Amino acid sequence: MASDKAARRVVVTGMGVVTPIGTTVDEFWQACKEGKSGVSELGGFPLEDLKILIAAQIKNFDHKARLKHFKRDRIITLADRYSWFAGVAADEAVKMSGLEMPLADPYRSACIIGSGAGGLVTFETAYRDLFILNKRATHPLTLLRIIGSSAAAHVGIEFGVKGPTFATCSACSTATHAIGIARDYIRDGVVDVAIAGASESVINYGTMKAWQALHVLSPEGCFPFAKKRNGTVLGEGAGILVLESYEHAKARGATILAELRGYGMASDSQDMVKPTVEGPSVAMQDALEDAGLKPEDIQYLNAHGTATADNDINETKAIKNVFKDYAYKLAISSTKSMHGHPLGAGGGIEAVACIKAMQDGFVPPTIGLDEPGEGCDLDYIPNEGRKLDVTYAMSNSFAFGGLNAVLVFGPPPA
Amino acid sequence: MDEVATKIIDILKKHMKEPRDDISLDTALTDLKIESLDLAMIVFDIEDGFGIEIPYNANEEVEAFKTVGSVVDRVKSLIAAKAGSAAKA
Repeated sequence: MASDKAARRVVVTGMGVVTPIGTTVDEFWQACKEGKSGVSELGGFPLEDLKILIAAQIKNFDHKARLKHFKRDRIITLADRYSWFAGVAADEAVKMSGLEMPLADPYRSACIIGSGAGGLVTFETAYRDLFILNKRATHPLTLLRIIGSSAAAHVGIEFGVKGPTFATCSACSTATHAIGIARDYIRDGVVDVAIAGASESVINYGTMKAWQALHVLSPEGCFPFAKKRNGTVLGEGAGILVLESYEHAKARGATILAELRGYGMASDSQDMVKPTVEGPSVAMQDALEDAGLKPEDIQYLNAHGTATADNDINETKAIKNVFKDYAYKLAISSTKSMHGHPLGAGGGIEAVACIKAMQDGFVPPTIGLDEPGEGCDLDYIPNEGRKLDVTYAMSNSFAFGGLNAVLVFGPPPA
Repeated sequence: MDEVATKIIDILKKHMKEPRDDISLDTALTDLKIESLDLAMIVFDIEDGFGIEIPYNANEEVEAFKTVGSVVDRVKSLIAAKAGSAAKA
């Protein structure tokens, strides 16, 4: 019955990450607690005339070792790097969930794994081959590597997902939209289980040139909310959750990590790069209302916090708009200060940071925050994380184009 | 087996999940568990290895790709055609 379906609660039973500061959830969370920086000297390809020479890259990632046990997907090791990240993060999340995949009814599972840009690195290689090296053909797997849905397809094949399988694409809100849509599918009874999140790997010469031309990258580091902030730092990685209906998780005796309580989204519909206060405010407000919570119920907010001049001041205004006076008491941090800006994957990685903060009673810091920027006057947990009981956590994702999406996590249902 | 056949069998083995040593000209590609995506990569390597272009459409049943021997024959005829057109030029 429709009324029963509308009441379905959605819980998180598994999570997986691949980030520059850790390629498992444990490693990543330990680094977050220590305030470790994942920003390093750019490398791995000829830097030629690049002016920005730093990034948050995942170095020494052994994809073959991490994917060799895949059984159903035989070619993921030949896929684009962004699919490797998705495969590894999904694998960790599914293992943590304890789910037997494929499900007995594989049509009751979904795999929604987005990517802001898909296989851009493959694209560049293919075009270099054709236009510079005058090769007669691209590698035969080029097309399959590039398409933005290949990570979702690879993961769906490996875990035998036969229900809705596709990618979302909304720049820096990609993972958050994927997780939100998966939540809705489970809540509405379309599926019982979903693997959801996003993956990104775009750091190459062409991408660096394109970002450089937009003049929003910092040559020094990612310092959200700081006076010295002068742009973001490109990152890469994946963040993926296993979501389940509460009934499904309970029936199989699963360990429930958190409840996905609320999801809100709103579009600025105004400008490609200049954000509004209204769009992010409405998205946060909707997520709160969807969760049935008041602003004061949230203890930790993982900010979008990109360290661009515009985002950080605008996000601060939007937080004040929604949380009013309580905004000054709310613990807020941008973990991008540590793992860089992994674009579409950001919301997935940051969702994991929120859930770990709740589990661990510890909120991660915004590192590099020696002096707050003008108009950035909230508690951004500067430089060192701290113990804090977190019952409810919010994760913000605000993308180019004004595409805003917000998640609210709560404790496992009693 | 001649040089062309040996080279082609080496390429086939490179793309097999479990390479085996009993491949003959009569072996059917389906017996080698070579599927359409593998075939695309095999064609790519053969083209690179012999400097030829193999007209091949994965949507069509291609007789030339039924057995190892039929691939070898096809490649030999393409090499000969290329040599012929080069001689004329």
